[in-house]
Amino acid sequence: MTEQEFSQFYKNNLDKVFRFIYLRVDKIETAEDLTAQAFLKCWQTNNDDSRMAIQNPQAFVYRVARNQIIDFYRQKNKTPVSLEELKEKGIEISQKSFVFKIELSFEMENLKKVLQRIKPAYSEVIIWHYVDNLSTKEIAQIINKNENNVRVLLHRALETLKKQVNKGV
Amino acid sequence: MTEQELINKLNDFKQIKPNKDWANWLLSNILLKSHQEVMIKPRVKLVSFSFIHQYQKALVSAAFAVLFASTFVFAQTTLPGNPLYPVKTLTQTTRLFLTPKDYKPVVRLEIAKARLSDMAKITDQEQTIVLMSQNIKKDLQTIPQELKNISKKQVTLKMSKQVQDEAKDLNNIISKTQLQSQDKDSLNQTVQDTQSQVLGLIIDTQEEIDNCPSDLKDKLANLQKYFTDNVQTLVQWPIDDITKVRTLLADISNDIKAGNCLEAMVKIDSINQILQIHSLDIKVETSTPEN
Repeated sequence: MTEQEFSQFYKNNLDKVFRFIYLRVDKIETAEDLTAQAFLKCWQTNNDDSRMAIQNPQAFVYRVARNQIIDFYRQKNKTPVSLEELKEKGIEISQKSFVFKIELSFEMENLKKVLQRIKPAYSEVIIWHYVDNLSTKEIAQIINKNENNVRVLLHRALETLKKQVNKGV
Repeated sequence: MTEQELINKLNDFKQIKPNKDWANWLLSNILLKSHQEVMIKPRVKLVSFSFIHQYQKALVSAAFAVLFASTFVFAQTTLPGNPLYPVKTLTQTTRLFLTPKDYKPVVRLEIAKARLSDMAKITDQEQTIVLMSQNIKKDLQTIPQELKNISKKQVTLKMSKQVQDEAKDLNNIISKTQLQSQDKDSLNQTVQDTQSQVLGLIIDTQEEIDNCPSDLKDKLANLQKYFTDNVQTLVQWPIDDITKVRTLLADISNDIKAGNCLEAMVKIDSINQILQIHSLDIKVETSTPEN
């Protein structure tokens, strides 16, 4: 992947990946950190000649993002993933420059919390399919399952989410 | 909430977007990194043991050396029947091989004595004991001949005396072995024969050394007197011959002191030959001393 191709890929996928991460963590800063790491990893892997070329960059970056989230929750009680890690990798952070807020309605905040409460596998497929508009085929490529499995998973995930939301209401 | 309403709500999450400045900054930062800088990433490896690869050859050699040395040291405490005992005997044989010719008899006796001591400590290996005693006999029989082969009488005398001292307690060790009485007697007999031969050698060598100077000293004195009296003649000699004669005279003096009569005589002959070459009418007695 050339720089130009990577830039295009970055522009096409940044919002989706950021959203996917943000809906599964609490803070914007954390979402930024994890998103940056996911794309950086993608670029590093792309430049590493010893590895095979990335066949499906979108699936790859989502897979990395997914693992970053898992690591984040695993290490949350120890050392949180911080901007320092990016700094160590040569990316200087100017924290005051990018402070911004994402305003969500009370209802949407609640829905986000419910998404974080249900099984990670369910929230993942819901975000990918209904928020990021990924097809079942694309999701299947990310989680290495066939499309039927994804459809079943989606159905169960939506049922679970609906129950949880209605329970809250 | 119906399923469709829920899907519609989920669609509203699409409004979530990262900060544009941050997005641009991140992309430029990632791309600005040179290929090599981006490649820098933590790799899983045993950092604390990474030096092993660097010094692999040296460490392997050192490990083998330590293993070899440990085996070697441990082998020195083993007894016949132990798998490492051959290492001990090999070490002894090597030591004997590396010893200078003049010191071989003493070292051979020390090794024979050590093997005899090992033999005295084992009880249940009759065949091994018999075989070892035969080898010890051979060693003991070789010692007098080796002493005779030493070229310098003074050294022969010294080595013979050392052998004599070393051989004193051999009979005592033999008595502790589990050899049958017949074999013990045979081995004791060999020890006695060796001791007798060594004693004879000591007496003979001492006599040779004692008798040597009385005859040769006169010849040396005559030569020294001649060269002192004929300094004017010597001036005409080539410098090499003069140097050679001086060296020979000094050697003869040392040989006489050391009891090496034969060597002293050979050197006196050499000086006489030089004198003959220069057509001098001086006769120096060269008769062999009676020993």
